[in-house]
Amino acid sequence: MDDVMSRDLISDLPQSIIESILTRLPIRDAVRTSILSSKWRYKWATLTQLVFDEKCVILSNDRCKVEDGLVNFITRTLFLHQGPIHKFQLTTTHLQCCPDIDQWLLFLSRNDIKELVLELGEGEWFRVPSCLFNCKKLTRLDLFRCEFDPPPSFKGFLCLKSLNLHQVLVSPEAIESLISGCPLLESLALSYFDSLALTIRAPNLKFLCLEGEFKDICLENTPLLVAMSVAMYMTDDIAEHFEQSSTCNFTRFLGGVPRLERLIGHIYFTKFLSIGDDVGRLPITYAHLKVVELNQVSFEDMKEILVVLRLITNSPNLRELQISGSSNTLAAIDAPDLDFWEDECPSNCTFKQLRVVRMTDMSGVPHEMEFIKFLLANSPALETMSISPCVYVMDGRLNMLIELLRFRRASAQAEILFIQD
Amino acid sequence: MSEVDMAVIKPEMMKSYIWLQTADGSIQQVEQEVAMFCPMICHEVIQKGMGSSKNYAISLPQRVNPAMLSLILDYCRFHQVPGRSNKERKSFDEKFIRMDTKRLCELTSAADSLQLKPLVDLTSRALARIIEGKSPEEIREIFHLPDDLTEEEKLEPLKNTTDDPRIRLLNRLYAKKRKELKERQKLKNIEVEEERVDDRSVDDLLSFINGDNGDSKGIKNSKSKKKNRRRKDQQKTTSANEAIKNHNKEPNGLNQVCHSAEVGQKVRAGVGATSNLHDVEDNIFDNKNELDDGDIDDEIDPALKEKIDRYCSYELRKSSKLTVSNEVTMEVEDFARRLNSDWPERMQEILSFGHERKPVHFSLNGNGSLRRYANSEQR
Repeated sequence: MDDVMSRDLISDLPQSIIESILTRLPIRDAVRTSILSSKWRYKWATLTQLVFDEKCVILSNDRCKVEDGLVNFITRTLFLHQGPIHKFQLTTTHLQCCPDIDQWLLFLSRNDIKELVLELGEGEWFRVPSCLFNCKKLTRLDLFRCEFDPPPSFKGFLCLKSLNLHQVLVSPEAIESLISGCPLLESLALSYFDSLALTIRAPNLKFLCLEGEFKDICLENTPLLVAMSVAMYMTDDIAEHFEQSSTCNFTRFLGGVPRLERLIGHIYFTKFLSIGDDVGRLPITYAHLKVVELNQVSFEDMKEILVVLRLITNSPNLRELQISGSSNTLAAIDAPDLDFWEDECPSNCTFKQLRVVRMTDMSGVPHEMEFIKFLLANSPALETMSISPCVYVMDGRLNMLIELLRFRRASAQAEILFIQD
Repeated sequence: MSEVDMAVIKPEMMKSYIWLQTADGSIQQVEQEVAMFCPMICHEVIQKGMGSSKNYAISLPQRVNPAMLSLILDYCRFHQVPGRSNKERKSFDEKFIRMDTKRLCELTSAADSLQLKPLVDLTSRALARIIEGKSPEEIREIFHLPDDLTEEEKLEPLKNTTDDPRIRLLNRLYAKKRKELKERQKLKNIEVEEERVDDRSVDDLLSFINGDNGDSKGIKNSKSKKKNRRRKDQQKTTSANEAIKNHNKEPNGLNQVCHSAEVGQKVRAGVGATSNLHDVEDNIFDNKNELDDGDIDDEIDPALKEKIDRYCSYELRKSSKLTVSNEVTMEVEDFARRLNSDWPERMQEILSFGHERKPVHFSLNGNGSLRRYANSEQR
């Protein structure tokens, strides 16, 4: 096997390369290198990134055994580790509320932790200990299924750039003050919150991702926002709250984001934007907005259509538009306000940069067809318009096609693709 | 880059070249845009103005031999072209990285010395893929690593950097125990020939039992308890096994690092080695100062010992004529306690019916511990 002449190939590479290799291995394999040879005994111990996931665990049917095995492994790895730990990630369904996690966090808080990802299992949610709030150098925090309760003296993570809270139990005031207390925050993701009313003040925020039941969101101070993705769910009391509200959500949400480049909305997002009184002309132009994706837009609600129109007519550099419908075909044989398209619709707007349009889940309701007609007539640079009918619509497809054929196209090279599933 | 544009417009012969010299002295010229893809070369050219002619060739670091240089230049030549798609680059990388492990390691080293980070990442990923999922033996074979860790080093805890004196003590004791085990092994083999027969009859022995009953028990207990603890661990009896079970739960980083993820906690070099380690631990907590192992005298087979304990412990304990190995005493107490047995009654029962039982042959070996023959146990 080993002859005297064959030289060790790898042990003398610089430590930075060894770390680069070990970081790309699953943590178990990395720790096991300690028994390869005398030079390798401690090479793993200075790794600054520790990622623990389901691969660390020997699967067995005995749940306790698996849990104990994982806890032991992590504890011993931390105990034998030397030097700073910059990234700690724990992703597992086997642990929920486990006292060892508190101790690990305490250990990490003393070791300059910068990135912390805790993704724990269903069941009783882990209550984040106070030592987490002492991690001064934290730049990234991801928590899944935890309880988060900052002490009153907590002012914020001064270095935090990325915050991701998913299914986290925390009071709205705490979130607001946490966001405001992190001046360098660039990326924020909040998901699965119940009835959250939130005002976001984050002067450096670039990326925003929201998903859940939001009663109210106001982007008060987010001038640098570049991309956002919002999925809003609706419950009855939120709907009621909306009925009674008169503030214009559109301006509250999109009024202060001049640098926006990508906007993605799901479920009730367009409806949310449509709530409130119309302010007339929008004072803001989205000069950088290139991609807009709005899903589940109801073309039976005139207000939602107005939202979409307002958005795209104020985006001179829009390149890509994707809209999915959510109309109920049976109800829409006879649509009101169809004369809107002839009378009131802005006629002098041209989408000079619009290249690609995708309309999905189309039911063929009149307003949908008028909207498509509007786009085709005002997009001189259009290259592709693809239309996918909703799966429930079988009979109306022929009518849709017939109408499509008639529409005038401003762009000579526009292709209309009718995509059948 | 305007340089590139110019190179395209100008005829071939006007292309600018950079001169590079590898550690073995050979000099070659390379197209400028290709060579400048390497940060280290770029730095040399821009900051120091080197490489413009043969006399001012840039000396490359020692880790870059001509073969590696040509590989690196192939990589640079492909990737420095701006118009390539991500897909193209990825598939080039996949093909490029297919080479034997030795060259892969050399390439990593060379790329690192030229500060070509994308190539270092690519090769690191490839090396990680090679290591992942393989057993230590396989990894050693692939990379020609010397297997220079001793068995106990593989099991031992990784040393604390502070070099805890307790760990040093542990290691010393461990080494001693191993030595003893080996010696005992040898002695056991010799001892087969050395059995000595006790010339006393069974009746004589039994009469001792029927003499004093309980007084010395308590006194002997306290005196011998400490010493007996130590003797206990040399036998692979239930007591030792229980100790192991208890100690397994302790959060010692000892021999568990490499296998701790294995929930079953398989112990590598056999239960013997591990159990000794655990029991040595046990000893430390009991006898901080007692390190002398002068009492090692016992070669009795454990199963045999149990039987002896059952039937003769009483007699042994109280007798001052026999130089008793005291661990037997301890054994019985523990054994009794553990079994929660009513051994005094049983003892009486056995002893009073002693004559009627099948003759049990006892022998005393030189050290005074009893040994019983039965055919199946003769060695």
